[in-house]
This record gives sequence, structure tokens and C-alpha cells, in this order.
Amino acid sequence: MRKKESDDKKTMGALARRRKNMPYYFLLPVLLPLVLLFGYPLIKSCIIAFQNYKLGNSNIYFNDFENFRKLFEDRDFPLILKNSLVYVTGSVAGQFLLGLGLALALRKKFPGRGLYQSIVFLPWAFSAFVVGLLFRWSFNGEYGVVNDLLLKLNIVEKGPAWLGTPGLSLLVVTIAMIWTGIPFFGIMILAALQSIPNDVFEAADIDGCGIFRKFFSITVPYIKPTIIITILLRTIWIFNSFDLIVIMTEGGPANYSQTLPSYIYTKAFSAYDFGLAGAFGLMLMIILGMYAVLFLKISRYEEAGDF
Amino acid sequence: MRKKRVTALMLTAVLALAAVGCGSENNNAAGEGGSNAAQSGPETADSDVEQSGEAEVTLRFLDVSPSETRQKYYEEIFVKFEEETGISVVYESVPWDDAANKITVLGASDQLPDVLTTHSGWLGQLTNSEWIIPLTDYLGESTEDYTVAVNKLFWQSEKDRFGDIYTIPDGMMVKGIFVRKDWCEELGIELDPAKGWTYDEYFEVVEKLTDVEKKHYGVSYRGARGAFDPLMTYLQNYTGGNTYDSEGNILIKSDECREAFQKWTGLYLNGYAPEDSINWGFTEMVDNFVGGLTGTLMNDSEVAPTCMENMEDGQWMVMPVPKSEKDGKLYNLINGSYSLSISSDSKNPDAAWQLIEFLTRTDNSSNYCRLSGLIPIKKDAAEDELYGEGGPYYTFTMQLNDPDLVVPATIGAFDYTDMHQGMMHEEIQKYLLGDIDADTALNTIADELESRMKDYIKEHPDTSVENALVMQ
Repeated sequence: MRKKESDDKKTMGALARRRKNMPYYFLLPVLLPLVLLFGYPLIKSCIIAFQNYKLGNSNIYFNDFENFRKLFEDRDFPLILKNSLVYVTGSVAGQFLLGLGLALALRKKFPGRGLYQSIVFLPWAFSAFVVGLLFRWSFNGEYGVVNDLLLKLNIVEKGPAWLGTPGLSLLVVTIAMIWTGIPFFGIMILAALQSIPNDVFEAADIDGCGIFRKFFSITVPYIKPTIIITILLRTIWIFNSFDLIVIMTEGGPANYSQTLPSYIYTKAFSAYDFGLAGAFGLMLMIILGMYAVLFLKISRYEEAGDF
Repeated sequence: MRKKRVTALMLTAVLALAAVGCGSENNNAAGEGGSNAAQSGPETADSDVEQSGEAEVTLRFLDVSPSETRQKYYEEIFVKFEEETGISVVYESVPWDDAANKITVLGASDQLPDVLTTHSGWLGQLTNSEWIIPLTDYLGESTEDYTVAVNKLFWQSEKDRFGDIYTIPDGMMVKGIFVRKDWCEELGIELDPAKGWTYDEYFEVVEKLTDVEKKHYGVSYRGARGAFDPLMTYLQNYTGGNTYDSEGNILIKSDECREAFQKWTGLYLNGYAPEDSINWGFTEMVDNFVGGLTGTLMNDSEVAPTCMENMEDGQWMVMPVPKSEKDGKLYNLINGSYSLSISSDSKNPDAAWQLIEFLTRTDNSSNYCRLSGLIPIKKDAAEDELYGEGGPYYTFTMQLNDPDLVVPATIGAFDYTDMHQGMMHEEIQKYLLGDIDADTALNTIADELESRMKDYIKEHPDTSVENALVMQ
């Protein structure tokens, strides 16, 4: 009898352990590829950031902080860092504001809303290559449709060389990035808007709330978690993106539209200096990590959505 | 709350570094889209020699400048080769813009195909890394079948720089100035290829052709990658065609060279080129010449088929590269276009050589040159009407026979890919934008080149500094 009880206890213990470990088994199919595809490159990048690692050169060795010294001695580093901040801030702000406007416009039903929605969400489906070419041609200094319009409307006397002028080249890339990303904010915010119960607005109407009061006191608090997460994610994505820049300007002229990731790409795949590219990558990770902490703290993400 | 923060931080870290860490993997993936190179990587290498009764040899061939026409040509000729030799060849390609990266990745992972087309600018890296093998022994006495230009200019340069012959040119690439003949006629400008011109005369024509109101610019200016190449040749007009002295000191820092630098970049600064051209590479230069925005274009003979295809006969002509104002010599960089080489990863170098011999056989080579706009490499192929007087390539062949021809020394045998892809054009762009002065731009590039050359001489004490080559 005692033996049976002890056997039962053992079985129960084994079952409990199995049940406890069960979630980890379920996670394994996702976790393993994640570790292999993201974890390994992540660790490898950190290691090569401290190495003299040039593709084609078999003499690979640890060189302490040499890559970081080169990074800070790079005359263009401050310019590239500034470009990155301007590009990311401009793109995220533009995408957020226009995406919010789009979501608010699409919240209420109107004839043809479905069609309109499909059209305005199209840019999100375009590849960066297509978008890059589209904008590169539109902003061509000689043949571009933008200069043609500006000239016809007598806004300018001579069309600017958008892609060949410092400042303007970064502006064009930012406009292209804004255009691509509006639908993302639109979709996410629209989904959040649709989850706000209607009775809250009805109660506000009865209380005599104006449109702005309703927006800032009801709409914004309800969609705040979505706004915070979308801004955080989009900032990281844009900070890491380099495809549009490479396609449209290759960072030119003279690095005036170069950002950190596009510079990393150039260093890694033009100069084959993976060590230096790794150092830039590590720097990028530190900047984004600090941003994430500060952003979550300032936006009080933990309190968002609590009503 | 902490969980949320930890998750956000992890996300950030992963996304930020994935760009670098996954870089090579991403690049492979990107390459796969446009090339077959990665698709038939190690599997094909392993199956080089298949055992099916008797040994069957399959070679891999990499084309670094693919196009529909080239792929069709190669695939057809490989069938012909297989019929004659029983050796099959797999055609692989990688887009030109990614080619240098792809070859570096394949070389670093010991997966280079048996035969690969290369560019002279990559030879420093390819030979330093021992990714390609010398071909001198394979060539033997057959060097005599090749034109004087190939022997005295092309191979001599390789021997001087790398101590051996590593590549067989698929055709000779000679530079010329493509000119809008119709614009010149309209303006009463008379140009005669046989008479030639000097740089000052060329600059004058560029100025005359510029009419911004009509959207006519005098020159297709190269401002982005490769911007330093034509400028360097112009500067070498003032150094006797050399780049360094015997001790490795660079020669382009003189007052004369600084003035030449300002004169060349003046083409852009004086408004003879569109403002956008500060970001132009090869494609934009050619597109805008063919499209009717610019009146002259300095480039290789390979542009001729594009002009023939897209422009009327009376619209364009080719002038030789201008002669030096200083010594009257014709400094022109003569190159093989995409030379053929055998990789050290090849398990069948003899079969690979058989393939190169077949591709460079007179009949095959002539067909190829006609297709690609190149000057033939074999003596007996040069008597084609295309290359004779009145033919579209006459100006190019004429330059090869000019007694004043000097082929300037190259930048050096060391690896300067990173400079070519970055600093060289960036410094010039900064000058064009007024951020730095001409001295700073020129000296920054020159000092870096000199420092690398001296390091190279230190590492290779037996090396001799390359001099300009003359035909005579």
C-alpha cells in the first residue's frame, strides 16, 4: 500500500515536472531558429567589433578598441550621426502624424471606404527597391515630375538638384520613408480606434465635450499603448533601415544622406571591413537600447491603457 | 512592467545588430535573387567530377556583367564547347554592382567557380588572397597569337604588378570620347577623329555644347563611384603617366596636378554638367548621354553597342581621348574588360584552361567582341570591317596604333577597393560642394595612396614600382 502511494507520488512529481517544462518544449521550435538566426549573428557581431576582421584577409585577430578608435576618428561620424537622428525623427514624426490622420479619417464609415483604404495602404506593400526608384525618378533634377510641377506652378525659377544637394538629398529620402510607413501607423492606430467603446463617446457627447477634448481625453489615452509600441518599433526599424538610402543616393553627395546603417553596409560590403562595421553596429545597438529605455520611461508605458 | 521593458530591450538589441551580423547571410540571399552564383554554390562544386562510368567534368563559370545577350551567348557557346570536348559548363552570374562583394564572399568561403570573369581593379585582392592561379605556363608560346597591345600593355602590366600573368582579356577596352555629332554640327564645331584633339580643345567643346535653356549639358560628369578614375588619368598627363616614383612617393601632389584637378572638376563647378551628376555613376552617365541630356561622355568602347542601339547614326561619333597639353602624348587606360581567370578552388584547372582557350579562339573571340563592343585580342581577328577605317570602332583601334600612346601606371597592386568605393569620390564631392579646398581633397587621397604604396613596398621588398607603358 505504502509502495503504491510512493509510486503515485513519484508519478505525480514526474507529471508536475513535465507540466512545468511543457511550455519550454512548445517554445523550442521558435526559440531554436531564433537563437540560430539572431542570437548567433548578434554574438558574432559583438565579437568581430573587437577584431581586425577584413573579408579576404585571413589574418584575423583581436585588436582591442582599435575599431572604436577608428569609428570616433572618422571625420564623417558626427555628420552621419546627425543625419541618422534627423532622418529617424523626421520619418517617425511624419509617419505618425499622417498615419494618425489617416486612421481618424477612416474610422467612420463612408461610401467607398474599402477602396480608399486599399489604395492608401498600398505603399506598405511596395518593396523598398520600387519605392526608391519611384522617388529617385520623381525627384530627378532634370526630368523629375516634382521639378516639373514646381516650375509649372512658378514656385521655383530653376528646379533644384534634389539628390545632388546636401540637405535636400536627405529630405527626399525622408519623404520616401514617410510615404512608405504611413499605412503601418494607419493600420495599427485604426485597429486601436475601433476597439474604443462607443458608449464612452456617447457619454462625452452628453457631457458636452468638444472634439478636441474628446480626442485628448478619450481617444489618446485609449490608443496610447498602441502609439507607444508603434513609435518604438518604427523608430528601431527606421534606424536600422538602409535600403532606401542605398537605392536612392548611396549616402551621397559626400555622405550628406548617409545614416549609420547605410554606412555600416558600405563599410561591410564595399570596404569589407567587418570589424569596423561591427563596431558601428554595437554603437547602434547601444544608442537604440538607451532610446528604448528612455522612451518607455518618459512615455510611462507601464501605466498606459490602465483605466 | 519590468517584463515589458526587458522585452523591448531585447527586441532593440536583436534588431540593431541583426543588420551587421546577418550581413553576409543577407547579402547571399540578395545575390540569389539576381544571380545563380549562390544557388549553385557548394553543391555544384562538390559535383565537379561526377562518377558515372567514366569521369565527367562539369565546370562552373561566373559572369560578372550579366545581360540577356551575354547569358544567351555564353549558354550557346558552352553547348558548342561540350559538343567538342565533352566538358559541360554551368553558367552562373552576379549583377555587376554586387560582383566584387560576391567574389569576395565566394573567395573567403573557398567556393569560387572554376572560371571567373574579373576586373583589373580587383586583381590586387584576388592575387594577394591567392584566389586565382597564374596562367603563364598554360599560355606558353601562344602569347604570340595575341595582339601587341595585349602583350605589351595588358600582360606587361600584370607582370609588373603581380609578377605573373593571371588573366586573359576577353577583349580590349579602350577609352574614347563619345560626342553628340548633331549638336556639334548645329554649332559649327568641326571634329576629326584622325586629327584628334588636346584636353583644352576638349574642354572648349564641352563649354560650347552647354546650353542650359535647351537642357543641353556639355559633359556626362562622373561624380559618384569611379569619379577618381578618369580624373587620375588626366592628372597623369602631368606625371609622364606614372603614379609613384621609385620609392613610392606619389606624383600627383604637384602644383600642376592641383591645377589639373581644378580644371577637371571645373567641368562640374562651371555648370557644364547637371547638378545631379555629383551622384552619377556609369549607368547615369551613359543613360543621360544616350537620352540627350549631355553632349560628351568619356568611356570605354563597350558603350558603342548601346549608342548603336539607341541613337541614330548621325547623332553620335567617337573622338580619341585628348592628348596631353604638356607633352603631346595620348594617355589612355587600356584594359581587358572582364578578363578570364582560373580560381584556385578549381578541381579541374586543366579543363578550365581548355574552356578559356575555346572562348578566346579567333572565331569565338570575334563574335564575342562584336557583341560586347570590345577590340579583339587575337592578331588575325583584328581585320574585321567593324574595326577598320569608317567602322564604328575605328577610333578605338586607331588609338592602339598611335605612336604617342602611353598607358598610365595603375593605382598600385595593393587592395584599394575601400577607397574606390568611398573616400576617392567622397573627397572630390566635398570639394565640389565647397566643404574643403582642392588641396585638401587631392592631398587626402594622395596621402592615403602613398601610405598604402609604401606599406606595400615594405611588405614586398622585391617589388618594383610600376611605370607607364608605351607601345613603341
